[in-house]
Amino acid sequence: MVNFLVGAILAFIGASQLSRFAASAYVADLVGLALVREMAPVMTAIIMAGRTGGAYAARIATMQGGEEIDALAVAGIPTVDYLVLPAVLSLTLTLPFLYLYGCLIGLLGGLIVAMTMLGITAQSYLQETLAAVPLNRFVFGFGKCIAFGLLIGVASCQIGLRAGRSAADVGAAATRAVVVGIVGVIALDAAFAVLANGAGL
Amino acid sequence: MTESALISVSGLTLGYGERVILQALDFTVPRGSIFAIMGGSGCGKSTVMRALVGLLRPQAGRVTVGGEDYWGCDAARRSVIDRGFGVLFQGGALWRALSVGGNVALPLRLFTRLARSDIAPLVRLKLALVGMADAIDCRPSELSGGMRKRAGLARALALEPEVLFLDEPSAGLDPISSRRMDDLIVNLRDGLGATIVMVSHERDSLFGIADDGVFLDAATRTVIARGAPSVLRDTCPDPLVAAFMHRERLQSP
Repeated sequence: MVNFLVGAILAFIGASQLSRFAASAYVADLVGLALVREMAPVMTAIIMAGRTGGAYAARIATMQGGEEIDALAVAGIPTVDYLVLPAVLSLTLTLPFLYLYGCLIGLLGGLIVAMTMLGITAQSYLQETLAAVPLNRFVFGFGKCIAFGLLIGVASCQIGLRAGRSAADVGAAATRAVVVGIVGVIALDAAFAVLANGAGL
Repeated sequence: MTESALISVSGLTLGYGERVILQALDFTVPRGSIFAIMGGSGCGKSTVMRALVGLLRPQAGRVTVGGEDYWGCDAARRSVIDRGFGVLFQGGALWRALSVGGNVALPLRLFTRLARSDIAPLVRLKLALVGMADAIDCRPSELSGGMRKRAGLARALALEPEVLFLDEPSAGLDPISSRRMDDLIVNLRDGLGATIVMVSHERDSLFGIADDGVFLDAATRTVIARGAPSVLRDTCPDPLVAAFMHRERLQSP
């Protein structure tokens, strides 16, 4: 949903700005590149930080309050292997696929705006997009998503484990995980941008 | 230290960060006893238990388990010693992601070589022991507080521990369940030969089943009396201990 809107918004802005230079045909390039490289990974990661990161932190903090983590420790069951690792892995594996899905939906948003506002045909829009977005951009976005997934998973589990033991601490942990997740994703994205610039991508 | 001492504690200081909760604790838990850690609310009874089961590193002092310096061991050795422990937490601390049966089965699945088909009857047996055989497929969230405690006890018993640590086993239970819990604890000691360390301020069950113990005081932050609760009730000169025990005598029928 968000990615659809982002794609549509990009197309709107692109259309109004590019038409000044009589270059509205490049809307597809703009939407495609921006989506694949920046918008889809970051938006998907931010949504997952809010939804899954918060849920991880809340769940683990609740377990902390119910002495469940202590019970694991006493039983000699390593918390990292049984709680943190599966959570981090599943998020890291899911995020890239959600990213691909996000790209697709964003593309659709852009396409619809381009068709209705600029009268570009679906076929030429898709052709233009395919030509504009090289595969390595996809790989780059994919890689970013894996990094975002790791970051959100590890940070939110860590915040959950460090939470206090009262019910109020569960809420605090969830809020903290969302904030840390979103800020972390944006900061990491900035780092990637610098890196990509250096690598000439 | 006598030969029969299973756990012995000397000069133990416990606290969180700067805050010292208890200091200079000395006591021994005899093998095969039902040892009570007593005291008013907030005097650090559960904190002592956390230090004995490896959840809170003492700031000073020694805990010896079966002759071995517990906190002097590395984490791997400590976790081997922990295998001999069964712990019942205050709220039962069942893992909410698993069913009641799953909770009892998890330690068996991880730490024994038993086949899945052998574990199932064992789980039923442990649950039957605490009168929870019907609840095997329930989720922890569906249980009442007392049932959670009993299920937690079944889980603590899963690996046939040598020492059972019980944090307030009968607190919050109705008189009948509380009495049943007491009987169960005595049965476990007599039947399995387990040593039981329990944190409690339920005077009925203290007098009924505990045969040794220590009394902690929040003001002086240390042990102020030692011995079986029923003996302390009759002979302890300390006014606080006497008051604690005395109020009980007024209440009991």
